[in-house]
Amino acid sequence: MKQKTDVLQGTLALMVLKTLDVLGPLHGYGIARRIEQISGDLLAVNQGTLYPVLLKLEQEGAVASEWGTSENNRRARFYRLTPEGRKQLQAETQGWEQTAAIIGRFFDVRAEDLP
Amino acid sequence: MKSLRRFFNRVVNSAARREHDDRLKEEIAEHIALQTEENLRAGLAPVEARRQAMLKFGGVEAIKQDYRAERGLLFIENLVGDLRSAARAIYRMPGLAAVIILSLAIGIGVNTTIFSWIQLIRFEPMPAVRGASNFLVVEPHSETGGYPGASWLEYRDLQKQVPALRDIVASEMVPFNVGEKGQTERVFGQLVSGNYFSALGLQPTIGRFIRPEEAERPGTEPVLVISYDYWQTRFSGAPGAVGQKVRVNERELTVVGVAPRNFQGTSPPLKFELWVPATLTPALLAGVRDLDDRTSRAFSLIGMLRPGATREEAQAQFTAAMAQFAHDYPEASSGIGGEILSFWQSPRGPQRLLMSGLAILQAVMLLLLLAVCGNTANLMLARGSTRQREMAVRVALGAGRWRIISLVLSENMLLAFLGAGLGAAFAVWGTTALRVAPLIGAFPIQFQTRVDEFTLVFAMLLGAGCGLIFSAAPALHLARLDPQDGLRSSPNTPPRSRARRVLMGTEVGLAMVVLIAAALFLQSFRAASQTDPRFRPEGVLLASYDLRGRNPDDASEREFAARLLERLRALPDVEAAAIATNVPLDLHGIPVRSFTVEGRVRTEAGQDRAITNTVTPGYFKVMAIPLLEGTDFADMRDKAAPAQAIVNEEFVGKYLNGAKAIGRRLQTRNANFTIAGVARNSVYAAFGEPAQPAIYLSYRDRPASEGEIHLRTRSGNETALASEARAVLRDLDPMLPLYDVRTFSQHIERNLYLRRIPARMFAVLGPLLLGLAAIGIYAVVSYAVARRTREIGVRLTFGATSQRVVLQIILENLGAIASGTAVGWLLALLISLHAIPNGDFDVPAFVGVPAILLGVATLACWIPAWRASRIDPMAALRHE
Repeated sequence: MKQKTDVLQGTLALMVLKTLDVLGPLHGYGIARRIEQISGDLLAVNQGTLYPVLLKLEQEGAVASEWGTSENNRRARFYRLTPEGRKQLQAETQGWEQTAAIIGRFFDVRAEDLP
Repeated sequence: MKSLRRFFNRVVNSAARREHDDRLKEEIAEHIALQTEENLRAGLAPVEARRQAMLKFGGVEAIKQDYRAERGLLFIENLVGDLRSAARAIYRMPGLAAVIILSLAIGIGVNTTIFSWIQLIRFEPMPAVRGASNFLVVEPHSETGGYPGASWLEYRDLQKQVPALRDIVASEMVPFNVGEKGQTERVFGQLVSGNYFSALGLQPTIGRFIRPEEAERPGTEPVLVISYDYWQTRFSGAPGAVGQKVRVNERELTVVGVAPRNFQGTSPPLKFELWVPATLTPALLAGVRDLDDRTSRAFSLIGMLRPGATREEAQAQFTAAMAQFAHDYPEASSGIGGEILSFWQSPRGPQRLLMSGLAILQAVMLLLLLAVCGNTANLMLARGSTRQREMAVRVALGAGRWRIISLVLSENMLLAFLGAGLGAAFAVWGTTALRVAPLIGAFPIQFQTRVDEFTLVFAMLLGAGCGLIFSAAPALHLARLDPQDGLRSSPNTPPRSRARRVLMGTEVGLAMVVLIAAALFLQSFRAASQTDPRFRPEGVLLASYDLRGRNPDDASEREFAARLLERLRALPDVEAAAIATNVPLDLHGIPVRSFTVEGRVRTEAGQDRAITNTVTPGYFKVMAIPLLEGTDFADMRDKAAPAQAIVNEEFVGKYLNGAKAIGRRLQTRNANFTIAGVARNSVYAAFGEPAQPAIYLSYRDRPASEGEIHLRTRSGNETALASEARAVLRDLDPMLPLYDVRTFSQHIERNLYLRRIPARMFAVLGPLLLGLAAIGIYAVVSYAVARRTREIGVRLTFGATSQRVVLQIILENLGAIASGTAVGWLLALLISLHAIPNGDFDVPAFVGVPAILLGVATLACWIPAWRASRIDPMAALRHE
């Protein structure tokens, strides 16, 4: 039960970092929208789960936040990637690509291909 | 690194909690507002747009919880919150809390006190000496089972021949007469080897200690070290005490230093005030040849293992040395081996005896504490059930199982630690009481029990243990709660009360065991103090004198005793007077010696042994022990009569098969005696002992330097004789103190003292436990009855009489109580059979205690049942 949440949280954190990397500083709703657009169902319900993840990243120093003004002139909290966050993103992206490649190869292999 | 920073942030965040809560609230509001706008643009109606936005966001409370968990130290925040609510809950039930805390405090206090006592004897046997429990006792051990002590020459040899031990220390306990003519007092001290203080690792409070060279050759420096207490009381703690001259046994000694505070010598719990180099023995104790006579085994030895050496090596070296002594000096050492023992196992002093007694006491008291825990569990369980609904609401609002358990746990733990704190305070009081407890017997004794960090940790561990034990049942019960059930069920549905019943039964069973133990103990104590000693202690005054240091010989000792008796008998209030070397029922026992008697051929190996006491003529009159045959001893100044002995009935029965004893020759203590009379048996060493063979010798034939004066008063007020006796002695010898003046009844009291401590504890704790059990039962029953108010109302409406209702409630609960009682009874029986194998079945304990317990239990059931049966049925039905 707990492990599943951890995996979800890890993925979510990576998505947040990537989003901020691509789009620059954003508020929570913006990040949620972006992730929804790209990932489809992942945040269809429970958008709120994003906030604990944001806080975790902030406490780890991967993102920083400050108050700003949103597009409709409301006070909103804007999150941006720190240099440290960028490093973390690079490292984790690499890790993901490696893992994905390995898993991909596993799925490609058919029984008759084996020596 | 990352997790470290996260942790640090969490700590900071915990402090700034509110600010963050606001921030999240604001972010959520913003998020939902933006989503709502989006939804509006998509064409939804305003209300629906907001609803959808909120649905999409998810459970706000759960996210807040996650957010908090991420942000701060949830565990600690919860703990603080739990403790706060626990404190509030305890504050709301002052009566219940007081009962729980007080009963726990008593249980923990008693246990902690006993623990500190055990700890003292086992781990800090010598106060002020660091690592004292590492010392080993080096004891020559004779084949006949005694520990005769070591001679000075033997000690000097052992220092070389047992290299596994470093710094073997020798000491001999001596009562000194200290002071100027006419105002001497008796002070206990030790004659010590030169390395005594350095081996113990002590530093003087002021001045210096005895130097090794001062205890090298006889007749060296006349120096003296005094105890801290002696310095405080006799010299008011003045630094000028060093260098002062003190007259000890009529010799001037110079005070060179003061021992550290609390140091009381190497034979605890005996408390010594003076330390003198052993080489002063001939100067202080004229005629005593302890230093060059190997048969004079006056010294006790202790030592510590050299680093790297093992106890087995030390034992082997010691055994070899003793075997060599037996070969080289057969007259002094044949049949004497050696044992190396842990300090607390020392055969001297009451340590060994106390240890086993204390261990039993501790076990019983832990059992009592367990009963207290059972009681508390019951009370908490009853209370917990009334909180079912509160807990159900908490679960429904999303509290996890662990949160519920931790809530209950923190409440109980708080109670437990409050109890432990108060218990520690009780223990402080208890240990102080032990410290200043009256001295036992003729020797100064002090137990320096105290509450230190170990005892405190022990008390807190007990508290934590108790808390866990009595939280377990209610916590599990509440955690298993189904929220829907808890919310629906009105408190009128009959509860599942099996757990409570089992606890109630267990508690009553435990109470049973402890109460029977208490009853047996009191019984044996009463039996002991009420047994006829077969002599008459009432109206007898005892007092001691000591001629050592007077350079006495046989003739002067005999003459002194004869004159003293003449003077004492001349006093108008004295009916009879006598002197003896030993007093029956002495805490330190009475010597048993081997003998041979004419007409007795021993078939098996070994020696015949009998109790021996040396007494003056008139002794049997003072003691009111009738002479069954023959006559009393010849007059003290009679020079013509042969050496005489008087034996007792048991002696005649056991060793002479009932044949005529008068005129037979008896050999003991390297001399011949003719049996002149047969005395009735009496009690010698302890109440309740089987009949013992005994030999009385006459002071005329075997005068001694020490004597116990026995005076029987004419008027019945023996204490009035004390000052007259003192005046007589001062007249005879102004330098000689009369010490240890006590009535025979007081003397017997001292003998019973050690038994009296646990007996008193039981006498207090027995009723206490009964009270606890009653409170426990009362709580359970009244709670159960309260839950069934409606049922009782219905039954009363349909015509049940109130007696029937009462009877039914009592019977329901008495089942559990009776089975608990039965189990406890059997357990107590097994324990008593094990502890006292040949003991009689004690009817009052095994019948009376269950009767009382069941009576009290029934009463505790009856009160709430009776109260329930008196309710108005209509009111009961409308209830809730």
